[in-house]
Amino acid sequence: MNASIEATAPELEPAPQGLSGEVLPHTPISRVLDGLIRHIGEFSAWLWPVLMLVIIVNVVSRYVFSQGFIELEELQWHIYSAGFLIALSYALLRDNHVRVDLFRERFSFRTQAWIELGGMLLLLGPFIGLLLYYSVPYVIDSWHMNEASSAPGGLSHRWIIKSALPLGLGLVLLAAFSRFTRLVAFLAGSEVRHAD
Amino acid sequence: GAEKIRWKMQAAYGSNLPALGDTIPGVLDDLREVTDNRIIIKHFEPNKLVPTLNITDAVRTGKLEAGYTWIGYDQGKIPSSTLFSAVPFGMEPWEYMAWWYDGDGQKLAEEIYEKNNVHPVLCGLTGPETGGWFNKEINSLDDIDGLKIRYAGIGGRILQELGASVTVLPGGEIFQALEKGAIDASEFSLPTVDEKLGFYEVAKYNYFPGWHQPFAAFHLIVNKDKWDAISDADKKLINLTCQASVTRNLASAEAYQGKAIEFMKSKGAETRKLPDPVLHELEDVTEKVLKQEADKDADFARVLKSQKAFQAQYQEWQDLGYLPRDF
Amino acid sequence: MPINEMLAIGMFASFILLIFTGFPIAWALGGVAIAFTGLAMLSDNYLDTFIAIDWSYTSLAIDRIWGTMSSWVLVAIPMFVFMGQMLDRSGMAEKLMLNVSRLFGRLNGGTAIAVVIIGLLLAASTGIVGASVALLTLLAVPVMLKREYQPELAVGTVCAVGTLGILMPPSIMLVMMADQLAMSVGDLFMGAVFPSALLGVVFVLYIVIRGWMRPDVAPAGNDAEPVNFGIILDALKSILPPAFLILAVLGSIFAGIATPTEASGVGAFGATLLALANKRLNRQVMREVCRETSQTTAFIFALLIGATAFSLVLRGLGGDEMIADALHGLPFGPHGVVICILLLTFLLGFVLDWIEITLIILPLVAPVIHTLGFDIVWFTVLFAVCLQTSFLTPPVGFSLFYCKGVAPPSIGVKTLYKGVTPFILLQASVLAIIFLWPDLVTWLPAQAYSGQ
Ligand code: NA
Ligand code: NA
Repeated sequence: MNASIEATAPELEPAPQGLSGEVLPHTPISRVLDGLIRHIGEFSAWLWPVLMLVIIVNVVSRYVFSQGFIELEELQWHIYSAGFLIALSYALLRDNHVRVDLFRERFSFRTQAWIELGGMLLLLGPFIGLLLYYSVPYVIDSWHMNEASSAPGGLSHRWIIKSALPLGLGLVLLAAFSRFTRLVAFLAGSEVRHAD
Repeated sequence: GAEKIRWKMQAAYGSNLPALGDTIPGVLDDLREVTDNRIIIKHFEPNKLVPTLNITDAVRTGKLEAGYTWIGYDQGKIPSSTLFSAVPFGMEPWEYMAWWYDGDGQKLAEEIYEKNNVHPVLCGLTGPETGGWFNKEINSLDDIDGLKIRYAGIGGRILQELGASVTVLPGGEIFQALEKGAIDASEFSLPTVDEKLGFYEVAKYNYFPGWHQPFAAFHLIVNKDKWDAISDADKKLINLTCQASVTRNLASAEAYQGKAIEFMKSKGAETRKLPDPVLHELEDVTEKVLKQEADKDADFARVLKSQKAFQAQYQEWQDLGYLPRDF
Repeated sequence: MPINEMLAIGMFASFILLIFTGFPIAWALGGVAIAFTGLAMLSDNYLDTFIAIDWSYTSLAIDRIWGTMSSWVLVAIPMFVFMGQMLDRSGMAEKLMLNVSRLFGRLNGGTAIAVVIIGLLLAASTGIVGASVALLTLLAVPVMLKREYQPELAVGTVCAVGTLGILMPPSIMLVMMADQLAMSVGDLFMGAVFPSALLGVVFVLYIVIRGWMRPDVAPAGNDAEPVNFGIILDALKSILPPAFLILAVLGSIFAGIATPTEASGVGAFGATLLALANKRLNRQVMREVCRETSQTTAFIFALLIGATAFSLVLRGLGGDEMIADALHGLPFGPHGVVICILLLTFLLGFVLDWIEITLIILPLVAPVIHTLGFDIVWFTVLFAVCLQTSFLTPPVGFSLFYCKGVAPPSIGVKTLYKGVTPFILLQASVLAIIFLWPDLVTWLPAQAYSGQ
């Protein structure tokens, strides 16, 4: 794992029990994908202070200058939805999705790895795959129809924000694939363990 | 045809809302009863499957077979849709009915919607909605300038032109926003529906007339492939049932508004009428906005032209045949 | 039993079984939705059923996710998380701990009482249980142990008090519930004020009574200095910033100046200014806050995405009607139905946490409550109080995890379980009080509307 991630590792989260990124070996694929996802995830995290400022500007203009902007209101949920969709893969990268550790911590690492491998193939893969498959025409449609907000003064070019959907889902699939290669490498008994 | 029909249909309004959401359950019951359970269209309440604003999308892409909605919600994608569902200073309900069935209305709507793989059937129709609930008096256009208001559709565009700050809050938030002064005014629906939602508790003035929608039309929309797949007899049956529903809906919407207004008055709501000069000015702006929209979209222009032509020839009859409104 | 109902039950059962494998819950929910779509299609093909769901039906999840994306209400969630993370790093809590506990130093159970008061202040200014529990554990548990408190009481107090944040507005749980049920966030916030305050009062009473009956479980600090004007002034000074934030966020919502979303942005901004004033804000802190906000937001919304697909398929299988029929069929009358729902929620809370229960169970039972004629705000607050206990009930109790994660090594799981038990009972009794006196919930929102 990258040192900077270690530094920001959430001291307030429960200690990682079970199969952590430490145990899993990296693969050439995972190194590239994880790097990509980490960069995108860390960059997109700066959307939150931007969202905060947009809200502040809107509040000030509404209550001080008595002028509300529907564009700014819509911009708020545009930023928020891009933010959470992109963060999905970042959380997967850091293995930070909610799970029930009750029995898991008693399983051996190999069992845990097998379970996760199976889960990715049978649960996560098909689910995200289906959503991704249907989200692409969803965006193309919106682009074709030149979809705009139906609110007076709302934002146009809806396809841009709708693209965050396949983008976010695609990144989740990449993050899952990256972890998948690491799980396979681990189960294949690779001795290589990278600290970086 | 003896083929079974099993469709899923989501409605845009809760079936508890009188003359708004309680229309379509009756249609579906009728269809089921007269065919002895051969045609079963399963009714889903708003948001149970898809968000209300996405009903047309879901039907278009075949994820749902059918929907019942105010197709004006599609205006972000199909700008002309708003003309089929409500037009400021537009036709009166029976005039719209005449344009739909005997003028070009149905033909145009089918043409435009079928390009989008959707078959529309007019299935609900009501008269005007209220002009809205206000916590500020409107005596002149200056009172609209700076007003914080929740107003959907083209009506909102028009108020925006006049300097109002327009938002489109979700239905559930209107009550509190009005009460707290986050907005000064809001429109929503018929007096019977507004009564149910309790707006009279939080807003002082109930303004009339419903200039922004003299008629409100609702459509059963069916995925085109599914529609094409059923027999002509079944198509006819659905059409007839919807025609009956249009009549019933108009009747029930007209029947109880007076009572609802009386009730809300008794609870302290002050009913007001917008002054004529304000209405005239609103009409002028409406013309301007409709023209802007027509310049942007060819279908919008086509439908608007058809409506204007129909209204012009109807005007002759209306002026001569009917007693004057202020008689 | 019709095949669709068997599938609906199978769907729920597979989900419960799958989460015990330790696979992330969000993706288990989504995966089960896909699997049962496939089974329903097979059943239609080979068993001559007419469930009529297919891949394209399940892809309505996309439209539902779009509904989530374009929700103004939910924008408040990342902002309240940001606010919590920022407050956490602003040094406010440490100052509170230091100064408020000096006020109560000479009382039996004084430190624990201080913890409750600080917990209430934290709860009303933010709402992240994990952060509150961890902070209180780090700051207060060693102090209490040094003063020879019974360890069970020490950890029980911090765990229970930390959960107040999820109920006391602003609360991301209440935002999520309001979104699910299409009700006003403001109403729900107002409805939850007295119940969460009541919980705080009950906790304090319990500690006082225990300390009075058995002084050895929570002895007064013999090293504590007497309370003087300086100590009171310091305490007041340290209460000022959170009080100001509470006024800015909750005050502006209640006064109708701002929507909850706007208030969340204002709160985040206020917390940032507070960190700046305490000289804690730098690039590194900002980066950590942003990343943590992303992480927390991501896992909440991953669950939302998984649950939306799960509910969609469950609904397609007729699961909704099945639950509604079952609840209506209960022979206990309307209040009995509510008790059954709350009991079920409490039990589910042992293995699930508030997000899954809010996303899956709440939309299933709310329509039934509507038809029974109960006030939906009252019910939702009851539901929320009930969910609060899920943080404390083992084996899956997040308060326990967070506490264990940072507590001194001498604190074992047994101590934790024993420590939270009385507090779970206290929460249950508050639940009963709210059940018997609905005015506790409905009075405040009603007040807001009577001024017209
Ligand atoms: Na809170
Ligand atoms: Na639990």
